[in-house]
Amino acid sequence: MEFLLEIMTEELPSSHVRSALSQFQEKLSQELQAARVGIHSLRTLGTCRRLVVLAQLEAGQPDEEEVVTGPPRQVAVKADGSYAQAALGFARSQGVPLESLEVITTARGEYLGFRRLKKGRPTGEILSEILPAIISSLSFPKNMRWADKNFRFSRPIKNLLCLFNGQVVPLEVAGLKSSDRTTGHFIQAPVEFRVANFEEYRQRLKDNLVVVEPEERKRAIQQQFQEKLAGLGAEVYPDQALLERLLWNVECPLVIMGSFPESYLELPLEVLSTAMREGQKLFSVVRGKKQLPYFLGIADSPADPRGFIAAGNERVLKARLEDARFFWKNDLKVNLAERAAQLQNVVFQEKLGSYGHKLERLQKLVAYLADRLELKKEKKDLVEAARLCKADLLTEMVREFPELQGKMGGLYAKKQGWSETVSRAIYEHYLPAGLEDPVPASTAGAVLSLADKLDTVVGVLGVGVSISGSSDPFGLRRQALAICQVTLEKKFHLSLPRLLDKAISLLQDRLTVPREQLKKAVLEFIEGRLRYIFEKQGYRYDLVNAALAPGLDNLVQAEARLKALSELRGSPNFEPFILMVKRVKNIVKEPPRARLNSALLKEKEEKELYSALKIIRKNVEEMLARNDFAAAQKMIFRLQPPLNSFFDRVLVMAEDKKVRNNRLALLSQILALTAELADYSQVVVESESG
Amino acid sequence: MSMQQLFLKLYEFWAGQGCYLAPTYDLEVGAGTMTPDTFFRVLGRRPWKVAYVQPSRRPTDGRYGENPHRVQKHFQFQVIIKPSPADIQRIYLDSLTSLGINLKEHDLRFDEDDWESPTIGAWGVGWQVMLDGLEITQFTYFQQAGGLELFPVSVEITYGLERLEMFLEQKDNIYDLQWSDEVSYHDLRYQEEKEFSIYNFEQADTQMLHRAFSASEKEAQRLINQGLLFPAYDQCLKCSHLFNLLDSRGAISVTERVKLIGQIRTLVNQIARQFVEREGGS
Repeated sequence: MEFLLEIMTEELPSSHVRSALSQFQEKLSQELQAARVGIHSLRTLGTCRRLVVLAQLEAGQPDEEEVVTGPPRQVAVKADGSYAQAALGFARSQGVPLESLEVITTARGEYLGFRRLKKGRPTGEILSEILPAIISSLSFPKNMRWADKNFRFSRPIKNLLCLFNGQVVPLEVAGLKSSDRTTGHFIQAPVEFRVANFEEYRQRLKDNLVVVEPEERKRAIQQQFQEKLAGLGAEVYPDQALLERLLWNVECPLVIMGSFPESYLELPLEVLSTAMREGQKLFSVVRGKKQLPYFLGIADSPADPRGFIAAGNERVLKARLEDARFFWKNDLKVNLAERAAQLQNVVFQEKLGSYGHKLERLQKLVAYLADRLELKKEKKDLVEAARLCKADLLTEMVREFPELQGKMGGLYAKKQGWSETVSRAIYEHYLPAGLEDPVPASTAGAVLSLADKLDTVVGVLGVGVSISGSSDPFGLRRQALAICQVTLEKKFHLSLPRLLDKAISLLQDRLTVPREQLKKAVLEFIEGRLRYIFEKQGYRYDLVNAALAPGLDNLVQAEARLKALSELRGSPNFEPFILMVKRVKNIVKEPPRARLNSALLKEKEEKELYSALKIIRKNVEEMLARNDFAAAQKMIFRLQPPLNSFFDRVLVMAEDKKVRNNRLALLSQILALTAELADYSQVVVESESG
Repeated sequence: MSMQQLFLKLYEFWAGQGCYLAPTYDLEVGAGTMTPDTFFRVLGRRPWKVAYVQPSRRPTDGRYGENPHRVQKHFQFQVIIKPSPADIQRIYLDSLTSLGINLKEHDLRFDEDDWESPTIGAWGVGWQVMLDGLEITQFTYFQQAGGLELFPVSVEITYGLERLEMFLEQKDNIYDLQWSDEVSYHDLRYQEEKEFSIYNFEQADTQMLHRAFSASEKEAQRLINQGLLFPAYDQCLKCSHLFNLLDSRGAISVTERVKLIGQIRTLVNQIARQFVEREGGS
């Protein structure tokens, strides 16, 4: 039977709508399951003014046998089998005939009692109990109260429509009582009407200019986009986040198109699209990669017959572009180097000093990185980019559009005559801003990005700021993630611990956390992000553990170890080898008591194992030296046959102490060699599980 | 419709909703929200309905009369109703209709925009109202002021009058607006904008402003100690405006900014607390 709930509200932020709907879905299905109400289907939909839940549910709980126990058998039943007073009283008080009584055995002993069929309760009744609690438990990033009601929600609730099988389910939430009534579009068709089921609800809403299915709105928008652009041979600059947001902001989507004077095309694409997106939430129109003097917007209206909506948006956009041009021209009047000097007065973090101080550190850090990465050609430009990279924080454009930070610096630097390397490095140095975001394309941009984030992570953790749960004021998680992304994607072969030593020494006198403790904390923090990346890439956690066990020094090598290990997992040698290493590790529990003495090797199998080890070790070390982890791992697998024969024929725990210790020393050399590649004992193989 | 007709229509509309019409407050403020007719009325339990026009000064928005949209002083029409009526969004739409706007021909949107003023320890939840892409109103359910949780909740509706008038007159330049049939916005405001921009950005004596700030701050504390809350609040408003002037002269560092705002907030919070105690509990 059909269940339909609509919570009508004043305009909810689109992120709140999406989160509320998914919470509702989860909570309602939990509660219904707990109440033993069968669910055939359950889904949510809605708009910024309506949270809607639609379900097909069983009419009621199933009937259930219930056991009622009374007095203990000894008390209730006499020796001759007839009922005592206690039994008669129990039957009377429960209103059941004596014939229905029986002895019921429980964990506590035997009792007199009876069984009866308990009728399941109707679903409507259950819904009316559980819904008010679910509605008030929905959580939002920010809640509010309104009027004189002691109720918190994202925005005020206006109306509740709640039907089960065509009947109103009585509810009361925030002083409102449920009914079978709802209202059309708030501005275009504010008509109240009654509905009996979802089909009617959907249709009447549509008649009253509300498209309640989000997928239908999305299709309508995409179709209208195409219609508008058909003649232009142009396309919408894709902006999924904006589209997703607007999709929930309108009940009756209408795509409008407008234009702006071509003279504004002299502004950089970055500025144009930001000016359109922020504030008015317009989409750019492009042909190839070139911006055209048009925009698309999504209005909440059935039509724009007199063109007011498009014309109004054009006027507002023109004003914003005029402002942007004013900022662009004004900003260019001041040299970036001059602005950079003023950063001495802008605080980066209270204990870490100003942005000026940060830039001094960055210049040294990029110089260090350039040496380590042998970037002789870029070194000078890198130091220059580091000196200038935060100067755009003082420009009017970035003050107006903070998300253009970095990009503006790069654009201004280029315009003011700095080299391509310098301006590009500045432009890209905030990248990547998330797991999906690209890393800087240029090497210099990547180095600067890495240095900036390292300085922030080390500095902020180093002055004792702790991050937990949702509290991460400097976005350190994202920054540490970016450190890993840049290092891995750019294949920067660096020793992370030594890099941290350098970053820490540059911050030295400002830090409050002891050096070694800080280094350990940062390494663990970065390792956590690295594991997150590997997990997202689909690597098995046990392989990640194995590959990271040799220590977090060179991230690129760690990744190569993991990759090689993962690729070999399918080979027939893999599992026997893993089991063999586990066996070795079980035997070698402590460091060897004696050095290996080849003269003491007596048996054929142990001599063969030793000579195999020498050859394999030489090969592995050569392969590691050229970072060929795949080959090294394959090579090390060759230990398995001689090891196998060794274990078959040779008793490690020999009577003779010298022989025993010598064999243990041989095994621990093998273990040491494997540990350079991975801690294979961490790998879970099938024959062990179950 | 001229700018002054717009004032009159809105006065008439909101008086019809039972609001008392407050005269414009006679101190420099950054927003209509700052005046006593909002600040004190949203505190405590007593219901209020008030509407007024308030010039709002934002020294950093000055553009020497050269920018067609930005001015360092603009006019707000402010409405406060406590408790917020259930159909307040509808009433607000009616106010736009009363200005002759046929909403069915336009795109009116309530776009998420929460409001916060750290200076007076206040925040609220609501929207910017967009009309064909133009922000014409800030619509807020006040949740906190003077650091105090507010209950019952007031609704605040702040119309940006120049924006609305530009919409009504279909003008692209603020100075082309008609104040009355005879007088333009340019006639009244252009020279003033030019001179104040020079003052705000170049001429204001920062040492004098710093001295005045500490003097008003001390005076406010002294008055609070004596329970003279309205005069004390005036001194806070002076501090706030002096702060804005210092800011537009670029004379405040980031740390100092936090410190000065914190000083004003501490005073305002004391005033709010005492006021509510005096009125008999929140």
